[in-house]
Amino acid sequence: MTEPSDDLEQRFRAALPDADDGDCPPADAYWAAAAGELPFEQVRALVDHGATCARCAEAWRILADVRRAAASADAAETVPAARPVLGPARSRVRLRTRTLLPLAISAMSAVGLWVVLRPPSARPPPVERGGGNAPTMRAESPEVQPARDALLRWSEVPGATSYNVTVLTPDLVVLHQAVGISGRQLPLPEGVRQKAAGGEVLWNVDAVMPDGRTVASPTFELRLR
Amino acid sequence: MTPTRGGDAGSQDPDPGSIERIRQVLIRAVERHCPPALAAHREDLVQMALVRLLDRPRGEGSSPRGASYLWRVAYTVVIDEIRRVRRQQRQAEQLPEGEQRTPGPEARSELLECLGALQDRRRTAVTLHLEGFRTAEVAAALGWTEKQAENLVYRGLADLRACLEGGDT
Repeated sequence: MTEPSDDLEQRFRAALPDADDGDCPPADAYWAAAAGELPFEQVRALVDHGATCARCAEAWRILADVRRAAASADAAETVPAARPVLGPARSRVRLRTRTLLPLAISAMSAVGLWVVLRPPSARPPPVERGGGNAPTMRAESPEVQPARDALLRWSEVPGATSYNVTVLTPDLVVLHQAVGISGRQLPLPEGVRQKAAGGEVLWNVDAVMPDGRTVASPTFELRLR
Repeated sequence: MTPTRGGDAGSQDPDPGSIERIRQVLIRAVERHCPPALAAHREDLVQMALVRLLDRPRGEGSSPRGASYLWRVAYTVVIDEIRRVRRQQRQAEQLPEGEQRTPGPEARSELLECLGALQDRRRTAVTLHLEGFRTAEVAAALGWTEKQAENLVYRGLADLRACLEGGDT
């Protein structure tokens, strides 16, 4: 076991220069390195760069978190994947049952323990995007509209105090952001209409809830005639 | 639809549950590791990165769109987005050329000097450790056994501490 090195981690973070992006390796190289896809010499070069550049050290830290989460997601998915292996032949089923039953009991006990002993749930996620109990927002305005009267309209999110709308080009350059709209519609601003006339824009809405959370819509398309 | 791992996942779209899980992880990671000025925009930043990911044309690239591929691409797009936002911020601030890009003499770090003086394998292992990698993750990245990684991190940290206290590495 390595001894705790929090103090060194803090000093390491504080010591790194805020280098320019120009020479930084692509993010995918970091993933490849962490995945063991690169020879030692290449990994060493990437790691050494991270020891001279605060931004890449930050990319490594984010990478560690993301890969850990990905690994646990993978592990969770491999359990249901075992189900189709149970074949129709009874003897095989019995054998599998005998093998899997203790595992299943252990898993259920663990889940039960977790339910009983888990810490109080953290505050709800700051942003909800589909899924769960969050209502899904829909676009209520037509997908094709004349440019001069284009209007963005969306479905209500119960309890929302206001809405924030972002309009983007198809290559995701933000054209317009409107914050704190009390209604459920936004006429497309003149500047956006001029820039996007004859083309299309993307837009999405964040509903702001009384407790500060936002419920985000999917991204919608609007084609301007 | 549940994404699966492996090469037969090529035609599958990511399911909303996976994307939501990835989004939450990325937001937490940005909040945890980025400076406050950037972390304050974590939700917009991650959202923009995921919009880019989801709007990629189907079949782009030759890699399969399995679950682990999705995590990988999500990571790369969010780092690209962080870099893009920083470039924009830098341009907006219009800092004189060279400012904030190299540390002044006072910022020269004893810790970095000691780290740089470590033997190659120890330095690589310790740097990954200081960047938040656990022993098993260091081992996976460097193609070592976990025991080797643990030894190299342990010895590297000991060398580093000795150097910082004025000894030799």
